[in-house]
Parts: sequence; structure tokens; C-alpha cells
Amino acid sequence: MAEGFDIDHLAKLARLSLTAEEKALYSSQLNQILGHFEALAQADLPALSDDARVVDEAALRSDEPGPVLGSAAVTRLAPASRDGQISVPRVVDDES
Amino acid sequence: MGEVLHTLSAGELGRRLAAGTLTSRALCEALITRFKALNETVGAFTHLDQADVLAQADASDARRKAGQGRGPLEGIPVAIKDNIAVKGQPLTCSSKMLAPLVSPYDSHVAERLRAAGAILYGRLNMDEFAMGSSTENSAIRKTFNPWDLARIPGGSSGGSAAALAAGLVPLSLGSDTGGSIRQPASHCGVVGLKPTYGLISRFGLVAFASSLDQIGPMARSIEDCELLLNALASADARDMTCFGPADRAFAPSGDAKKLRIGIPKGFLGKGVAPEVAAAVNAAVAFYRAQGCAISEVELPSSDLAVPTYYVVATAEASSNLGRYDGVRYGHRSASAGTPVEMMTASRSEGFGPEVKRRILLGTFVLSAGYADAYYVRALRARAKIRGEYLAALAGVDMLLTPTVPTPAFKVGEKASDPLQLYLEDIFTIPANLAGLPALSVPCGKSGHLPVGFHLVGAPLSEAKLLAAGRLFEAAHGFAHQQAAL
Repeated sequence: MAEGFDIDHLAKLARLSLTAEEKALYSSQLNQILGHFEALAQADLPALSDDARVVDEAALRSDEPGPVLGSAAVTRLAPASRDGQISVPRVVDDES
Repeated sequence: MGEVLHTLSAGELGRRLAAGTLTSRALCEALITRFKALNETVGAFTHLDQADVLAQADASDARRKAGQGRGPLEGIPVAIKDNIAVKGQPLTCSSKMLAPLVSPYDSHVAERLRAAGAILYGRLNMDEFAMGSSTENSAIRKTFNPWDLARIPGGSSGGSAAALAAGLVPLSLGSDTGGSIRQPASHCGVVGLKPTYGLISRFGLVAFASSLDQIGPMARSIEDCELLLNALASADARDMTCFGPADRAFAPSGDAKKLRIGIPKGFLGKGVAPEVAAAVNAAVAFYRAQGCAISEVELPSSDLAVPTYYVVATAEASSNLGRYDGVRYGHRSASAGTPVEMMTASRSEGFGPEVKRRILLGTFVLSAGYADAYYVRALRARAKIRGEYLAALAGVDMLLTPTVPTPAFKVGEKASDPLQLYLEDIFTIPANLAGLPALSVPCGKSGHLPVGFHLVGAPLSEAKLLAAGRLFEAAHGFAHQQAAL
């Protein structure tokens, strides 16, 4: 099942930057683990039914406003903040 | 009296506190003294705010004096795994990603413990983001098995189990996604319960694999485990999967000697160490001698459990851990660049090797072209496994197996072989996949290392599991055991 396994593509999807050493190690380990998953490909399995869902929709609570942390507590957690807002690297370039 | 307080059960401590022969301050001072003497050796705790503990103890003693005691946990310390939020305390998941984080709010279980008068006592070490079976994946420190300091305590709730076995605290909380309460409980000779999925709110538990994660109680005896379970189980609208009336009581009920116990065919076969098989067989013989009906049951898809689990759990983890991007909280890389570069660098610096491995695996099994072959097939296998367990449990009250195939291994022994480590969870994983309650009970030793057996029951059968555990515990000497340190 594991043909086409591309560690560079996976790392990009997962937003991880890997060293050459890590790439070699994870490729080999993931291939070994995926080999163990072959049992799933061979098994005779039932079709997915509605009751395969983990959560019953009836358990959804009503959508009402509740207590929130507040901006002071939230910005205190942030790695960088300014004027009560979370700072991030510039997303949009200046118009030139 | 101070020198023996750490050997007493939570039940006995509660009785002494109620009788006025002990104060919470004296208890906490004794435990802090023990923490100072032993935590460097065992490594169970990653953080203990001693002044805060003593302030909580004084408040508890004052409540009791004023006739406002809040019940059997009043004044008793409960240590908490470092992935469960307690307001004002670190919440690191033993990861560099969250190292600077102090929780701004209480988890539901922390609220419940405060309401019960318990002392929220320190933060316990764990595998990073609860991913592991040895606590070696902690980015903060190693934890060692109090029964043999060269060996692992199990994981991911290794700190929770080691703290109990070392007499550092009478009660602890763990979390269990594939065995993370029960496997360390078995390795450290203590009791660990993974409750029915949905019995205890996950609000404030840092998510690993949301359809599998449960918080559960750990203790040195079944009675203490019940005490803690009763304080934790209640409905909570903030966790959409949490159900049930408030204050469900889980005292053992019925005649444990009439229980029907199923032994899954082939589970004591290959891969189980002879001493583990012997201890578990002795437990089966004990139940038979007590009058319980023992029968063999078939669980034909058991071989699918480990691959199914590692597809579902890593898929959910890769999604849940997407939130760690260095923007709102946690580690942010100093090498800024563009937002995507900042996120990628923050994640790469913040996560350890096992977390990266599982994120990559989960990303793969969900990726276009592979999701049907892996993730969807795993969901189908999960439904099949659940069906087989429920069918087996229609004919018996519970299933009995070893908790772990082998006793605790040496630190570093399996560090380079993730697949071998994943197979540690072979007996515990199905209960998570099927949402069933499961209990690990100490039942003997392999040499000097503890061994536990594992009971799995139908949804909400915690009382029966605890009754079976009590019957065994009352006839054997494994309750309240602690390693000599």
C-alpha cells in the first residue's frame, strides 16, 4: 500500500522541516510501520455505517455565548503581542 | 507519625482527616519532604509549587474546622498529569512546544477536584503529548520505575504511576489514548482505570486523539481508585462526548463471586513473557476458585487492533497538533521570515522525534490517494473490533488478559524501535477503539518487577470491574504496595 511515499511532500503538508538525517530515519521507520499496517489491507471489513460515528449529533449543546478568557489572558499566552493583539510576521507586502 | 503518612491510602488519610487526628497541612508537609528527598531519583514530577500546595492545605483545614468540609477527598493531594489544565500551573505536555505555558483556566476535572476539596498537587511527567509507552519521550526529564531505577515506568502517564509507587502522592490523574493509564499502572504495581469513553469530561485535556482520549484515576488500591472516579465522573456540556447524570456513584455492586469472566482465545500465547502468563493464569484460577464462571471467548480481529489504532490515533493527532503553529501560544521560532516559515520552524524546533513521526504518519494516512486505503479502512476495522468486543461482552461480564505482554524494560532498550514500542499496547488498545472501560490490577511480580492483569467490560460497567478488582485485592497482598526507596 505504501508505494509513492514521499517524505518531502509529507513534511511540507505537516509543516515540518526535516534534516537529511531525519528524512532517512523517518522514511525507514514509516515504511516499517506501514508494512505492519498491511493487515488492514488484507482484512475482510464491514462497510462504514452511521453508527461508526464517534459522536451523536444529539449531544451538541445549544450555541449560546459563554464565558471567555478575555484578550488580556489570551495575549499573555502569545509569544508576541502589541496593543492587546497577537503579533505575527508580516503577511501582506506593502503596496509599492 | 509523619514518616509513615506516605504509606497510607487516600481512604485512610480521609478518615484521619475527618477524625481530626491529621491535618491537610501536616500531610502535605510530609509529602513535600518526601518529594524533596526522592523526586530527583524517580523523576515523577516536572513541577511542584510548594507554597501553593500549603496554601490549599491551609484553606482545606480551615473549611473543615468551620464545618464546611467537602467530602472524602477534602484535604487529600491529587497529582495531575501535565496534559490536564490547572489554572495558574504549567501545562507543558512535557514538550518544548509548550514549555513556557501557564494554563489560564481549569479543566473540568480540576474544577471537580477543587469542588471536592482535594489539593491539586503538582505536575506529572509524561511522554511528549502523551505519545509513548515509556515516558522516555518527555522533553523535560526521564522518569524511572521506582521498583527498578534502571527501567522505564511505562507511559505515557509514567509520572502518574511512578509517583504512586514511590509514595510521593496517594492519588493521581492520568490520560489514556491506547493504554497510557493502564500500561504504566501495570509496570509500577498500581491500579489504573480508563473509564468508558464519555464518562469523564475531556474539557481541559490537551487533545492527542480525541475519539480515543480519556482522563482516568490512578491509585494504590481499588478503593482509592473508586474514590477518585466518583469525584471526576459528571456531565459537562463543554465536552460534546461527555454524558451522564452528575455524581454517578461507582461503588462496587453485586456479588463479585458470580461474575462471568471471558478469557480471549490466544491472548496468553506468543509474545507474553512466561512470568506474566503465570501471574495472569493464577488470577484466573483465583476467580474460578471463588465461583466465577470462566469461559473462553473469540475475538478474531484482535490482530487488527494495533494497526487500526496507529492509523486512527496518528490521523487525529496530525489534525489536533496542527494548532501548534507558534502564533497564539507555545514556542515561536526566533528565525521569523514569512508566516509559513515561522510556523514550520516553530513546529520543527518545538516537537520531539516521536511527535514528528506520528504527525508524519497521520498526515500520510489522511493524504489524498491514501486516505481510503488507510484511514477509512481503519475506521471500518474499528467498527469490526468494537462489534466483536460488544458481542463477547453480551455473554460475559468482563474480559481478562495481561495488561502488558512483558514487565518493564530497561531505559533505552526499545528507544530506536518505534514499532516494538507500539506493540506494548496490544492488550490495552481495543478498549480505546471500542470506547470500553478497562482496569489494570496488580497481580504479582516477575522477579522484582510488578505485573498487572487487565479487565475490560461493557460500556458503563465500571462498578463491576471495580468489584472484581476488590475481590482479588482483598485476597492478595498487592494493595498499597510501594517500592522501597
